[in-house]
Amino acid sequence: MTYFEYKDCPVTIREDIKQAHRQYWDKLAAPGCWWTGIERAAIAQEVRNANTCQYCADRKQSLSPYQFEGQHHSSGVLGKIALDAVHRITTDQARITQDYVNNNTNSGLSNEAYVELAGVVVNVFSIDEFNRALGLDLEPLPEPVPGEPSHYRPAQAVSGTGFVPMIPPDGATGAESDLWSKERTGNVLRALSLVPDALREWLEVFAAQYLPIAGMTNMFKHEDRAINRMQMELVASRVSALNQCFY
Amino acid sequence: MLRASALTNKTQIDLAGVNGDESAAGTGVEFGTQLMKFAESVAIRDESALKAARDELLQVAGEAVLVDAAGVAANFQRMVRIADSMGIPVDDLEERMGKQVREELNLERFPSAHNSLSMG
Repeated sequence: MTYFEYKDCPVTIREDIKQAHRQYWDKLAAPGCWWTGIERAAIAQEVRNANTCQYCADRKQSLSPYQFEGQHHSSGVLGKIALDAVHRITTDQARITQDYVNNNTNSGLSNEAYVELAGVVVNVFSIDEFNRALGLDLEPLPEPVPGEPSHYRPAQAVSGTGFVPMIPPDGATGAESDLWSKERTGNVLRALSLVPDALREWLEVFAAQYLPIAGMTNMFKHEDRAINRMQMELVASRVSALNQCFY
Repeated sequence: MLRASALTNKTQIDLAGVNGDESAAGTGVEFGTQLMKFAESVAIRDESALKAARDELLQVAGEAVLVDAAGVAANFQRMVRIADSMGIPVDDLEERMGKQVREELNLERFPSAHNSLSMG
């Protein structure tokens, strides 16, 4: 099956967007570093479940996310801790704390697994949001590919910036030399670097939906875009403000 | 980045558009009001408002603008979730323009501000 053809779409979708979404779907289906293809597809399904989860809706309105117990609307493949992490990142990310991540680690969800899970959540969510923004049905999830996770962890990752270890600014070397150019990075770029493939995957979708990292310093209109940078940043800022983004 | 792009383009904008002021969003930004309403309806997940905003943007600006705006909105629905789920602080809290914008928009009211302010 070829995904993201957008055949029934009433507007023309740029080819690079189709391609980026398609490439991500292929990667989503395959085993990652810490999750199998079946588990990655289950994480993707839970992103969709979270958006119709009554417990998430009630929790979002509560003064504290720990105010009451409840049950997530779930497909039942993921364990309780991973399930809650997917739903939290999707629907109530602003109240995630270091304690929440530490408690998850103590309950068996390693930092590495959490980072890869977050990578899947944010990519699936943004691809689904693109379709939703245009009034389109969500793409069927891909059929998982069998295989085992690689358990690859970059040796240079260190703690100290956010909730999880990250590759330091001068650490994009060796197998990770493609992640950013020499020491020219930022915390948001480093955020998922404990699982370098998670960062690579979001960068590919980021480049199509927004701009390639190399083009970020161009504050004018990019040749292959219909909106100029100010228009882009107005959309970006309003979305970020409504999501309570301090960063 | 909105202020940086406006300064580079030597264009006067009104940052109040970021907090939802429709006329401010249109200051200096072509289709600014329609783009702001579209972004807002994506973020708050109001399907009827989204349909209305999408139709209006399509009508005034055309399908290429609509598709690009959908891409940017979808991308920034993701970025905040990366930043908050990983707890990353702002890279340089003292950088002048960033500090000014955060004060102007009162961003310290957001819970995730703690990830940056606790590092200071």
